[in-house]
Amino acid sequence: MLLSRVAENLYWAARYLERAEDTARIVREHTNLIVDLPTRVAVTWEPLLAIIGSRHAFDARFTTADERSIIRWLVAERDNAGSILCSIESARENLRSSREVMPSDVWQGVNDLYLFVAAHHGDGIARSSRSRFLERVIGDVLAVNGTLTSTMSRDEAFEFLRIGRNLERADMATRVLDVRAGSLMAAVAPEYEDVQWLSVLRSLSGQQMFRRTVRGPVSGESVLRFLLHDRDFPRSVRFSLEQVRRGLRALPRAAYAAETCERAVELLEQVPVTLTGTDLHHWVDELQLTIATVHGAMAETYFVSHTPVR
Amino acid sequence: MAEIRNATGAWDELIDAEGTPRPAATELVAMLRALGDHELVARQDAADLAILTAGITFTVYSDGRGIDRAWPFDVVPRVIDATEWRRTDRGLTQRLRALNLFIDDLYNDQHVVRDGVFPADLLSGSVNFRPQCLGVRPAFGVWAHICGSDLVRDADGTMYVLEDNLRVPSGVSYMLENRHVAKRAFADLFERQSILPVDDYPEALGRLLRSIAPNGPDSDPTVVLLTPGIYNSAYFEHSFLAREIGIDLVEGRDLVVDDDDRVLMRTVAGLRPVDVIYRRIDDLFLDPEVFLPDSTLGVPGLMRAWRAGTVAIANAPGAGVADDKVVYAWVPELIRYYLGEEPLLANVPTYRCYYPDERDHVLHHLDELVTKPANESGGYGILIGPRATAAELVERRAAIEADPRNWIAQPVVELSTAPTLCNGRLEPRHVDLRPFILSGESSYVTKGGLTRVALRAGSLVVNSSQGGGSKDTWIVDLDDPIPYWSNG
Repeated sequence: MLLSRVAENLYWAARYLERAEDTARIVREHTNLIVDLPTRVAVTWEPLLAIIGSRHAFDARFTTADERSIIRWLVAERDNAGSILCSIESARENLRSSREVMPSDVWQGVNDLYLFVAAHHGDGIARSSRSRFLERVIGDVLAVNGTLTSTMSRDEAFEFLRIGRNLERADMATRVLDVRAGSLMAAVAPEYEDVQWLSVLRSLSGQQMFRRTVRGPVSGESVLRFLLHDRDFPRSVRFSLEQVRRGLRALPRAAYAAETCERAVELLEQVPVTLTGTDLHHWVDELQLTIATVHGAMAETYFVSHTPVR
Repeated sequence: MAEIRNATGAWDELIDAEGTPRPAATELVAMLRALGDHELVARQDAADLAILTAGITFTVYSDGRGIDRAWPFDVVPRVIDATEWRRTDRGLTQRLRALNLFIDDLYNDQHVVRDGVFPADLLSGSVNFRPQCLGVRPAFGVWAHICGSDLVRDADGTMYVLEDNLRVPSGVSYMLENRHVAKRAFADLFERQSILPVDDYPEALGRLLRSIAPNGPDSDPTVVLLTPGIYNSAYFEHSFLAREIGIDLVEGRDLVVDDDDRVLMRTVAGLRPVDVIYRRIDDLFLDPEVFLPDSTLGVPGLMRAWRAGTVAIANAPGAGVADDKVVYAWVPELIRYYLGEEPLLANVPTYRCYYPDERDHVLHHLDELVTKPANESGGYGILIGPRATAAELVERRAAIEADPRNWIAQPVVELSTAPTLCNGRLEPRHVDLRPFILSGESSYVTKGGLTRVALRAGSLVVNSSQGGGSKDTWIVDLDDPIPYWSNG
């Protein structure tokens, strides 16, 4: 029988790991996009702040929103709880108090990543070393998830990890869509729209699977449909919510959380995928709030405190 | 070529005074010489890296916060002949049997006091005697289920018990991890000789814990390890043992005691009963209803549940009464009194400042003796007379005169040494040994234990909280390649 406190630690460890991975992907892809586009196209680094949702705290800390400051903030900033550095540190802290429920390789993987990030987070800032640093983060989190998948019993502990990871994944996907689709619809550089939509896909590691599944030209609508509704792509909102649903089915006393999850799925199904004449921002906002209610239900049902270890 | 030196005057664990390897260490010493310093340093580095990535840590306090440090490990093992270890094993088992009989007696009939073997006023003055435990009869009469005794070897090679830790002894996880790391560093040696395995400890501990369940070991008892939490210096060990035994690691806030005096834990499925608690929290923090009212580490009502017999606690509350350094001085007499046997393991001669004549002797020879507070652990408060400053001696004299019962003194035991890798070469460093003894229906002694080493040249302080390191301990069986199992 899983302790409530441990369940909470696991849930947060999975969320923080996923956040670190997703942030690394988003930063890596944005760097690529900026390098790709001609300099006259006004793409800035600021959408990154909007995605991670920490603009206010950033402004309190930095005077200019230039590349260096923003990347430092997202990758290596101690004052930003959502930075890659802090996320990995928090994941490790949460796992440190729940080591006994998981295979030791998992802990070793996270600890190893933590030691790397603690020693080399500076490498994530300079463009010359940035992708190598980010790829190590992405690769290590993937390896940890792989170790979990192939060595951990599908017990309650595993389900809390699964639910944490997928709620975070769904949340991050909606943030990316919200900000990117928003700035795309503003049509800053129409001739590069395709490039930008491909970039959205790559931010969520979806380019290849999109190509295989959709088999048509890239368009805003097809990308939106794929990232929101695809049932087979593991980083779509739909797939992530299905995983949460599946996790909840394996847990005791899950009625309330399952109900919130059903509402999120129902709402998702209503989100239109046309870019003309709809307020996508409004829909995605609603979706994010509903996903947040699943977290609220988890905390209320299972967790001792409502604050994670950090 | 690694040169292995001997320290002047001290007994070395691997080589004798002529520089010849001791029989059980022959293979190892040959290997060390063949490897040379350079290769040894490479193996040390690999071991350090393995410890870092595996997250084998201990926590030290600095500026009021706990800091996680990599566990200090010296790659050169310490070797003990299995023949000597069998004797030591029997001595430790005998000692703990007597101590458990003593504790059970103190909390029940107190024959030992009535028979005039142990002074009544010492008992009433003991800070670790818990009147709240009077009349309780734990399973098998055992109170100290897990004991870590510290052994030291004097210049003539005699092994002495320096102290017994009966409250929440720690270090066993490092013994197991050290072996894990040493196996990688010296894989070839493990194949060539019979080094007794240590990794059955978690299994033995798990069996012991289940055996004391109120409804018996076959009731599928729920066993938990109660930790003060992540900031405790031994948290790594708590987590390690919980994982190895396969039990839940709980904090006080995870447990509640209901109106029927049942201990329950908060799980995702709701409250679930707990049968056995392996506690790694000191008595005084266990239950704010009975002990320190401000403690948030423990569980209100836990003592009620224990007294009612609905839950077993290891070590039992109050067991620490027998690891008092004053009680230590009586252990040889307790062995004779309870078992009618002569002690198999020697006690270091101990002066008890409680007695005026012994106190006078101590005060007259302060500069020759080691003085220790009766109730501190971790090496705190120890003053080594021959190395103390005049001011320290004056201060110590005043402390003893102010509270004589709290002090004991012993002659300086010149700890044995073992070759240790320091600054890229082998140098003799002082070591001690902490074996772990389990008591329940039967007994179990670790094959060897945790060897701690003082990393500073000449230092006798081996505690990891004060700059000590550790070594793997090899019990080498020269006669018999078949593993030897202790069964006290």
